[in-house]
Amino acid sequence: MIFNTFRLAAVLVCLLTLLGCKTKTEKKARYSFYILAKDGREYLIENDVLDQGNLTPEGNGVLLEGRNMDRDVIVKAGYYYHLDRKTALFSKSSIHDKKLKIQFNILLKDFSIENFNWLATDTLLLTGLNISGYNQTRFFLIDTKAMKVIRQGNMEIPKPAGKFTTLSIGLVDKQGEHLNIAYTYHIAKGVSDYITSDTMYVSALSYPEMKLLKTDKDVRSTYPGGINTIQSYSFIDGNNDSYFMTCPGIALGNRPEIPTGIFRIRSGASEIDKTYFFNISTSKINNHAYGMWPLGNGKVIVRSERKDLFKGLGDHYSTAHFEFYVLDLKSKDVTRLNLPLDKGTRRECVLVEGDTAYIAVNANKAGNFIWIYDIKTGSLKKGLQLGGDTDFILRMDKLN
Amino acid sequence: MGIDQEVLERYHLGICSVQEQQLVEEWLFSADADELDLVAFDGSKADLKQEMWTEIRGVLPKNIAAVKPKSNAYFMWKGAIAASLFIVAMGAAAYFTFGINSVAENPSLSFSNSSAQHVKRIDAKSYNVSLGPNSSAKINSAAGVIDLSGSLLISPKKDVEWQFEGTTKKVTLKKGQTYIILKNSTGAEGIIVISESNLLDLPPVMQKQITTQFDI
Repeated sequence: MIFNTFRLAAVLVCLLTLLGCKTKTEKKARYSFYILAKDGREYLIENDVLDQGNLTPEGNGVLLEGRNMDRDVIVKAGYYYHLDRKTALFSKSSIHDKKLKIQFNILLKDFSIENFNWLATDTLLLTGLNISGYNQTRFFLIDTKAMKVIRQGNMEIPKPAGKFTTLSIGLVDKQGEHLNIAYTYHIAKGVSDYITSDTMYVSALSYPEMKLLKTDKDVRSTYPGGINTIQSYSFIDGNNDSYFMTCPGIALGNRPEIPTGIFRIRSGASEIDKTYFFNISTSKINNHAYGMWPLGNGKVIVRSERKDLFKGLGDHYSTAHFEFYVLDLKSKDVTRLNLPLDKGTRRECVLVEGDTAYIAVNANKAGNFIWIYDIKTGSLKKGLQLGGDTDFILRMDKLN
Repeated sequence: MGIDQEVLERYHLGICSVQEQQLVEEWLFSADADELDLVAFDGSKADLKQEMWTEIRGVLPKNIAAVKPKSNAYFMWKGAIAASLFIVAMGAAAYFTFGINSVAENPSLSFSNSSAQHVKRIDAKSYNVSLGPNSSAKINSAAGVIDLSGSLLISPKKDVEWQFEGTTKKVTLKKGQTYIILKNSTGAEGIIVISESNLLDLPPVMQKQITTQFDI
């Protein structure tokens, strides 16, 4: 009997060791790419390096079948979080054996994400609108480890009134015990006819009650931020000051006569700093920009359009016309990065690690490359290539 | 004010007043509204029938000549006529078979959707279309020409290259993909063609309108 118990224990130990070895061999990749191929198919590719090699979606990627994944995905610690608009299921997935497998699903009814914020390692705040009308701000606070809704409800942000029909939330920042939420209103008349208010608002809401504390207005620009599951528009610096850009150009606000700019909310404050405004449109960029990524030390990269190279919304996404600039937020110096013109209206395409910024560029003829920018020396060189059927690198994320 | 043909025509052309538009939409969506007050026919049914018959008689062959006594030649002619008829019948059959085929391969279709709320779905031989509210489209796939006012969602069943009527703008639509086409103003610059996979490149306010409208 005792002998049998020992034998059983030995077998179990062996089995566990084997299983342990197996899980260890499934190495977690460091980076993830979301690819739109030339034939319209979409792929996720995971890889460990950004500075060399050549990957193809058809050879190295995981084909995304069905419609439960899209580029508005939140990538964190090996997992992909995505809200399926049609099924209202918020899924947590990861790649195993060359397949994207859903681990958990939770139902987030009548909800469309405008912004996400990680409040802690496994606490995710999703803010957005009701799908039935896009006129009521709502939130879900989610425990992403247990995949459970901790709290949900409406936010006390005034609904669009008068001529306004809908709104956009472009920035959500937690400052101490309150949230700062930047937003603006729109008049939508049909599928291709809309306009944005000339005013942006920042409301302070109590957290987690989401009760309105105060509201600040600004008319120096409009359309604060954007949907940050698709591209980044804001960050908090080392002093806990919050910076965000506005996007009144045709790709977001459709008020091209209003300048694109960068604004600041001081640490702990709940109104826009009236002494600070970086006017991008009147700088030497002389165009609208969409997308901002911090490089550290008061510098950012912005992605700006070239109005002389596209005709309208019809070719805005398909023409290679985007440029990258490094901006010094304090001195307001502007430096153009010597990169090929990039295509795709909105992309999550910059990753910063130490003194290196990795920039994914979809050039027309020069191919799809990750470019390596040395923040200190300003040098630029080509790194990893995304070849084969790649048409657009839509996202580049840090996976682990 | 009642709904008549004139108001409806103006409504479809988009040139009616706001008040008229409201009236027409109320009428379109109301189940118990009055029947359409079309221009009344101010003649009797018998007169109309007579008029139609006169027109038909005009294109008919003249009265067949009285039957003559049969001669030997009759049988010879009978055979010849039968043979000719057979040849004509075969010819006609061939004409219709090949003729219909070529028509079916090259359809020119016009659609319009005057609903202010709902999408109209059309399944054609070489594509499926959802036409947006207050939209009209004309697709001639033989000539490769498309004309659109408003919005549509299209899934071609084979690769096609179409030109927009009155412009030099050409678009390639691939089999198996779904495209959104929007046209609000005249000229090539008012046209937006985007595949569903690039939908998130459109401004979010437009995306929300499109996904709601076409239920995608």
